Amino acid sequence: MTLLDVRDLSVRYEPKASRSLDAVQGVSFSIEPGEFVGLIGESGSGKTTLGTALLRLLQRPGRISGGSIEFNGTDITNLPEDELRSLRWRDLSTVFQSSMNSLNPVVRVEAQFRDAIEQHSSLRGEAVTRRIRELFDMVIIDPKFMTAFPHELSGGMRQRVNLALALALDPKFILLDEPTTGLDVVVQHSILENVRRLQAEQGFAVLFISHDIGTVLDLSDRILVMYAGRIVEDQSAAALLREPLHPYTKGLLGSYGDPREETVKITYVPGRPPDLSRDIVGCSFAPRCPERIQLCLEQDPPLVPLNGGRVACHVAVLQREDGGAERYGEPKRGFEGPQFVKTAAESQDALANEVVLSVENVSKVFERRRGFTVTRTDAVRDVSFELRRGEVTALVGQSGSGKSTLAKMITGVETPTEGRIVFHGPDGDKLVSGFKGRALRNYRSDVQMVFQDPYSSINPAKRLGYVLSRPLVNYQGLKGEELRERVKELLERVALTPAERFINRYGYELSGGQRQRVIIAKALAVEPQIIVADEPISSLDVSIRAEILELLNDLVKENDVGILYITHDLLSARMLSDEVIVLNGGKVVEKGPTLRVIREPKDDYTRSLLDAIPNPF
Amino acid sequence: MIYFARKFGFFLATLWAVITLNFFIPRLQPGDPAEIIVKRLAGKDSALDQAQVEAMRAMLGTPTDSLWHQYVSYLSELVHGNFGLSYTYYPFPVTEVIAQAFWWTVVLVAIVQVLSFAGGVVLGAYAAWRRNSRFDSVVTLGSTFLGTLQPFWIGLLLLYVFGYTLGWFPTSGGYEESTPGWNWAFIQEAVSHAFLPAVALLIVTPIGWILGMRNTMIMNLGEDYIRLAKAKGLPDRTVALKYAARNALLPSVTGFALALGGVLGGAILVETVFDYPGLGRLMGEALQQKDYPLLQALMLLTAVGVLIANLVADLLYGVLDPRARRAEG
Repeated sequence: MTLLDVRDLSVRYEPKASRSLDAVQGVSFSIEPGEFVGLIGESGSGKTTLGTALLRLLQRPGRISGGSIEFNGTDITNLPEDELRSLRWRDLSTVFQSSMNSLNPVVRVEAQFRDAIEQHSSLRGEAVTRRIRELFDMVIIDPKFMTAFPHELSGGMRQRVNLALALALDPKFILLDEPTTGLDVVVQHSILENVRRLQAEQGFAVLFISHDIGTVLDLSDRILVMYAGRIVEDQSAAALLREPLHPYTKGLLGSYGDPREETVKITYVPGRPPDLSRDIVGCSFAPRCPERIQLCLEQDPPLVPLNGGRVACHVAVLQREDGGAERYGEPKRGFEGPQFVKTAAESQDALANEVVLSVENVSKVFERRRGFTVTRTDAVRDVSFELRRGEVTALVGQSGSGKSTLAKMITGVETPTEGRIVFHGPDGDKLVSGFKGRALRNYRSDVQMVFQDPYSSINPAKRLGYVLSRPLVNYQGLKGEELRERVKELLERVALTPAERFINRYGYELSGGQRQRVIIAKALAVEPQIIVADEPISSLDVSIRAEILELLNDLVKENDVGILYITHDLLSARMLSDEVIVLNGGKVVEKGPTLRVIREPKDDYTRSLLDAIPNPF
Repeated sequence: MIYFARKFGFFLATLWAVITLNFFIPRLQPGDPAEIIVKRLAGKDSALDQAQVEAMRAMLGTPTDSLWHQYVSYLSELVHGNFGLSYTYYPFPVTEVIAQAFWWTVVLVAIVQVLSFAGGVVLGAYAAWRRNSRFDSVVTLGSTFLGTLQPFWIGLLLLYVFGYTLGWFPTSGGYEESTPGWNWAFIQEAVSHAFLPAVALLIVTPIGWILGMRNTMIMNLGEDYIRLAKAKGLPDRTVALKYAARNALLPSVTGFALALGGVLGGAILVETVFDYPGLGRLMGEALQQKDYPLLQALMLLTAVGVLIANLVADLLYGVLDPRARRAEG
């Protein structure tokens, strides 16, 4: 019997202040007992709304506006809260997206297990404690942490605790909503391994929501692809990888490449998802689709069975009809959109360039005083490397590996305890350490930083024209027409064209990718020699990551700047960097040309980082 | 434990600073208190009689030692609870004057504060839980409207309606003929005298708690742990109380402790309007009469009250929010 059966489900948001929109539109699918189903889509595709609706946790102004959800034979679409309560957690449980906050901060972890267990079972007292201990064992956490408060656990542990909590009552179904987003790759990997093992042992069904197609392909039996509030493709994972039907799926697959290849190509999907509060004529993906035909602009494609799965695409269906291949061409596997290509040969040239920054045997020790005891932390130990013009060096490591401390020393925020950093600038060599006042200011125009989160790095109260003019006024004293021209030039440099359209807009009106472009434009304003980019793509949707990588790559080639690219992700390091430095515990454990490090890792830690990259190929 | 010890150490250091400031600030003011008093007694225009000034000095006890010695003897007098004599209620010592007013205020204002806090927090939490309901609208709009009023003005209205026109309640004082103490007649009188001032305060003071609690609670209701608590299928009551309200209460606790500390300052305007024999009225009088010893003692009392309340708030916060303990301890 089908465990979860969703028919024609629609969710409507009706905010008072703005137009109402259908975040989920006529979605139908079912999940069998014990099945592991992945749900992928970019931000704003409605995947989280769908998950929330399944759990009947929608809050105003959102509501289920049509269709039905049947769970284990019971229609729960309109089930009153009192009757729903007995189903919750015992039959369907969940691990939320930002599980950092999903534990009550003022209550011990044990009590948060206890209230759920006692609510739904007849276990009491010592029996509950035994059960919690058992659950902690399942997720490989020392049961002594039962009495801890949530803030005393690390991010990864908290997520494991949440997983254990979801398993507390042996549910039939668990909704995992981006359960590992924001965690280190290695931790992420081990948690997902844990999920997979437990699912195999206990046989619960899973709906796994993620924006990361690699992870989803790795884990799921079947995959649902969601775009603009609808399911556009539904196939088994193997079939989807072999023969993706919808062009959007091809686009998502194209954003993945095998880092071991001599030449890596990744594609990206240009444009942005449609505004769901407006009427859409034809296929909602058509404006971004390289395969579209006239019909796509006129008629909305229904989700129809094809090749044992389902797809909502005119072209895919027509191509597979009798004689369709002749009229509409052979089905394509790849996404014929813009691509970003990186070859190993390019890197060799770049590594012969002139050195712009040398880091020589640098160490940093932090001392923390508490009362009479002094704790010393070796954040960085004896690190040496060189950054060249027109070259990208990637600093790879998980959090706590010292990569951020190193970046701070390079930008002159922190001073090395030992060793030295030399900047080979246009006015001769400068020792980077403890710059103050004017010297620091000058150095800042040589070294710029691009941060991780484009959502909080732009002043929300100012227009882009103003945001970009600040560094120009401060460092170059530009005024009037000259200033305006230069701002436009910067916008065009980062492909925000035409510049007139962007100059009077606010940061929050832009998509994540566009915002990150603004940040890069701001860094370029002072014509720096070095850009330190701290995880510049990790908070962006997969489908647009390549777009930012390409922009950074162009900057390196055209302007001869050196980029220090800080990341925990070896795949993106391979795409952008020529040389890679792997840091672990403040020490360099491996260093060399990117391709060589990825193909022949010598250190165990590098190997574990590589293993953590989901590899569906 | 370090957290608590540290907080207590901080309390002692601040207490010392307050006492010291309370000693030095009046001494920075220009003018001779004795001359001022004589002048006031004799009338503005009359010439200053040196003999009178000398007499006044002798009576007040004029400092001749160095400032340091004065400071030391000030501290030792403080330890012995000697604050000097009040000018207004001469020759009663300040401590006695304050002691008489003390309980009137503490009982009135403390009861008002506790009721306001309890009522305000409950109303605010319920309004947030039933957000956008009719109850919420009435509470929020009503609070915003009443929040613009001043308690002393409401006091005047109450006095006029229930005191003069209807004659249901006495219009001034704390009691009539009975002897203060634990007897029925006195308690009855005290309650009827305190009733109108209490109502005047109770109309306005809960508003801050209502709005504050409502806002934090609404913010907390959006948190993931609330969603998860609902997904766990816990009863609404548990989610509302143990998850939402428990967390939303934290910021209010500090505010409440501070408000309790302020009790010792009394409610100057309301007490004056009702001619209520409490610390607030005393403070008003001391200000008008330039009664420095009384004023100094009242200031110190208020400051110490706030400090103790602060300490209690910190300690309480440490108990209520485990994160505070680690962050600083």
